[in-house]
Amino acid sequence: MNILICIKQVPDMESKFKINAEKNWYDRTDLAWRMNEYDEYAVEQAVRLKEQVGAADLTVLCIGPDQVKETMKKALAMGCDRGVHIADNDAHKREPLEIASMIAGFAKDKNFDIVFTGMQSQDRGSAQVGVMIAELLAIPAVTTIVDFAFDNGAIHVKRELEGGGRALVKATTPVVLTCQLGLNTPRYPTLPNIMKAKKKELLTLAVPDMGGIGACQETAAFYFPERKGSGLVLEGELPDMAEKLIHLLKEKTGVLA
Amino acid sequence: MEFTREIYWNVGHGFTTLAPMYGLLLVAVAIFVLGCLKRIKVYRLGQPLERTDQLGKRIKNLLDNVCLQTKVFRVPGAGTAHALFFWSFFILFIGTTLIVAQADFTDLLFGVKFLKGTFYKLFSVILDLAGLLSIAMLSGLLVRRYLIRPEGLLTKCDDALMHGLLFAILITGFLIEGARIAVTEMDKPLLAAWSPVGLVVANILSGLGEAGLRTLHTGLWWFHLLLALVFIAVIPFTKFRHILTTSANSFLADLGPTGKLTTVNLEDETTERFGASELTDLRWKDIFDADACTLCKRCQDRCPAFATGKPLSPMLLVNQIGETAFNNPKANLIDTIGREAIWACTTCRACQDICPASIEHVDKIINLRRNLVLMEGEFPGEEVMTAMEQAEVNGNPLGMGYASRGDWAETLGIKSLAEDSDVDVLYFVGCYASFDKRNIAVAKSFITLCQAAGVKVGILGKEEKCCGEPMRKMGNEYLYQTLAMETIETIKGYGVKKIVTTCPHCFNTLAKDYQDFDFAIEVEPHPVFLDRLISDGKLQIKTDTFSCTYHDSCYLGRHNDLYDAPRNLIRAAGGQLTEMAKTRDQAFCCSAGGGRIMAEESIGERINIKRVQMAAATGAGQLLSNCPFCLTMFEDGVKGADVEAQLRPKDIAEILAERL
Repeated sequence: MNILICIKQVPDMESKFKINAEKNWYDRTDLAWRMNEYDEYAVEQAVRLKEQVGAADLTVLCIGPDQVKETMKKALAMGCDRGVHIADNDAHKREPLEIASMIAGFAKDKNFDIVFTGMQSQDRGSAQVGVMIAELLAIPAVTTIVDFAFDNGAIHVKRELEGGGRALVKATTPVVLTCQLGLNTPRYPTLPNIMKAKKKELLTLAVPDMGGIGACQETAAFYFPERKGSGLVLEGELPDMAEKLIHLLKEKTGVLA
Repeated sequence: MEFTREIYWNVGHGFTTLAPMYGLLLVAVAIFVLGCLKRIKVYRLGQPLERTDQLGKRIKNLLDNVCLQTKVFRVPGAGTAHALFFWSFFILFIGTTLIVAQADFTDLLFGVKFLKGTFYKLFSVILDLAGLLSIAMLSGLLVRRYLIRPEGLLTKCDDALMHGLLFAILITGFLIEGARIAVTEMDKPLLAAWSPVGLVVANILSGLGEAGLRTLHTGLWWFHLLLALVFIAVIPFTKFRHILTTSANSFLADLGPTGKLTTVNLEDETTERFGASELTDLRWKDIFDADACTLCKRCQDRCPAFATGKPLSPMLLVNQIGETAFNNPKANLIDTIGREAIWACTTCRACQDICPASIEHVDKIINLRRNLVLMEGEFPGEEVMTAMEQAEVNGNPLGMGYASRGDWAETLGIKSLAEDSDVDVLYFVGCYASFDKRNIAVAKSFITLCQAAGVKVGILGKEEKCCGEPMRKMGNEYLYQTLAMETIETIKGYGVKKIVTTCPHCFNTLAKDYQDFDFAIEVEPHPVFLDRLISDGKLQIKTDTFSCTYHDSCYLGRHNDLYDAPRNLIRAAGGQLTEMAKTRDQAFCCSAGGGRIMAEESIGERINIKRVQMAAATGAGQLLSNCPFCLTMFEDGVKGADVEAQLRPKDIAEILAERL
């Protein structure tokens, strides 16, 4: 089997975010970087599939500046066989269709049986890249999968639906699957695998032909929403807190009137 | 009248005595040697380890712990009885050796006798009293083991055999002496008086008549000889082996620095196995340790995990390794010992510190953890894996954004070394004092004290990262080394001369573990640093009386023997210190060492609550400590133990800052 896993490097969500000079995205200084959480599920599921079927080749793909290789190394340490880095310092400005066309441009002649990717990125969160890859490659896509089973060529996945419902979807290869929280618990790479990962192939490519697709949106502004009033946390002993609450309710609301 | 006695009286000096005697001795020694060789072969299954360097220090340890029984003596009662028994039995051994030396060598070959006159008198009376003391101590130990039966004491066939054999040797010895005296010395009261115990036995036996006494004597003499030879022969096969192994272990002991772990060479690309899951992954000393264990259970009695119902007994763990080595060497050690036991250790060192056999428990546990983490990617829980990943990304296990690490100090007028590296000391803040609200208060107090003393302090701010201690103790040597390298590079880059910590875990790591990475900058824990500022007159503290108890953190106490500096500070502040029952080197861990700060404690009682209850029992109003992990556990513990109102956990730095 030939499997592609698309991952993104994102800032740790606990980071101190600041707005960049162009006021269209966050500033890159003082950020800690990691693999997009949903992409970790994608990597883990691909590695598990390889462990199940034995004969599979896992290519992990990531778009961005040189520093994304650090995140790719984790995917390689988790069990991917080779890495493809599409060098693009402007990746953070790209809209989903551009990213998807880069990936499709790379993948079109490689005959991937399954493309795993996260259901969305933690930073931009558009949740479009996966389905757009499928469209550009003219293959089906199943989104937000929380369960995956592979049996002799047949794929059974469970999708998470609104309200906590589940849908069982059958599919055959080739297919794009976007992964949701709950699919699996990503492994912690073992030291021998970290060592091996250092020697795995990690190819850096220039931005491939995007088939004439260019930007068709523009981020007009980037800002933190204004704080409208704040919550109040009462602290102290229980009876005191009850007193304070009653006092507040009387003073600021009409519920006790 | 000559003060002496005839050696080989009644059994004869001739070939008919010596030939079978030495023949049997040869058999006993042969069995002994073969038994030892068989065990040595098993020790050699372990990995190589150099333990014969610093000979002077090792010989001193050997003499201290064997001849003086120093470690044995640390626990009164059984320890005292053992030491007294050892010394008296050792005297009996020397006595027997002197007899052999005279009868079969000096007298036989050169006609020289030295067991006569005053020397004989002393020889006789000392041996008599030593024999009596041996019997008394052995009886005491027998009563303890079989009647009192202290909780957790494992009694096996070996123990019955040892008691039986030793009693039989001692009693037959006195019966032989009694029979001889009854026949040869009853008319020489001045001579017999130098064998007081023998004389009592002689009086009891005297009714048997000379012929009866002589028959009894011959029979018992050969029986006593046989018992002594059995004793020699069974040493390698029974717990008697501890005479050799425990003694040898005090020579082979780890010479420190105390608690410094073995650094794994991660540069060596040929290594494919990390940590220990099989016997052959362990060092030979780890297998030897099992043979040195006497099951005295001192470790188990002090283990905080064992005391709170977790499936870890340091004693059992060491013996499971021994069982595996000798009975099932192919078995998987991790399955044999059990993951829950392996993860339960807080590396508090209470076991290793008290062990009279110089066994190294903590290294073994860390080695097993290394295998789980580095080879299997396993952790005690998902929360630990998350903390590890957080440390990889943000340089702290709490998952806080790295760039806000120095935010706590923003309003205090201190700068990061990036802004101003000309400082007296670098304050290595640590993760908890950087991010945890409660511990930020400690960091602020420490800064206030430094400023009051006119010390110019700098911090690393967002350049500081976790020192790697909790990760290392959890078995993640790779992440530890990654963090250590980064920290060392940062600190060295600023040409720092001196570092002060408020976290004993950081202190221990920077001061000891980093030595392996060529890091030799002076590091001092805050109680020592502040104690000197006060004694030098640079820091003035107003004495204001208050009642408190003090908890010795494991990493300042047992790992670094720092017990006095924090107590000096408490006194300087006016603290009326009521010590807990378990204090100083016997202190009970707070539960957060060994990387357990990152883990949920889901089995048994909670260790921190137990410790807080011990503190509350003193009736003191404040529970002082010197460690952010301890403080965190105690803040949680006072709630759990429901003593929040009467017991306030604080760091010593806070008590001092309140009294400027």
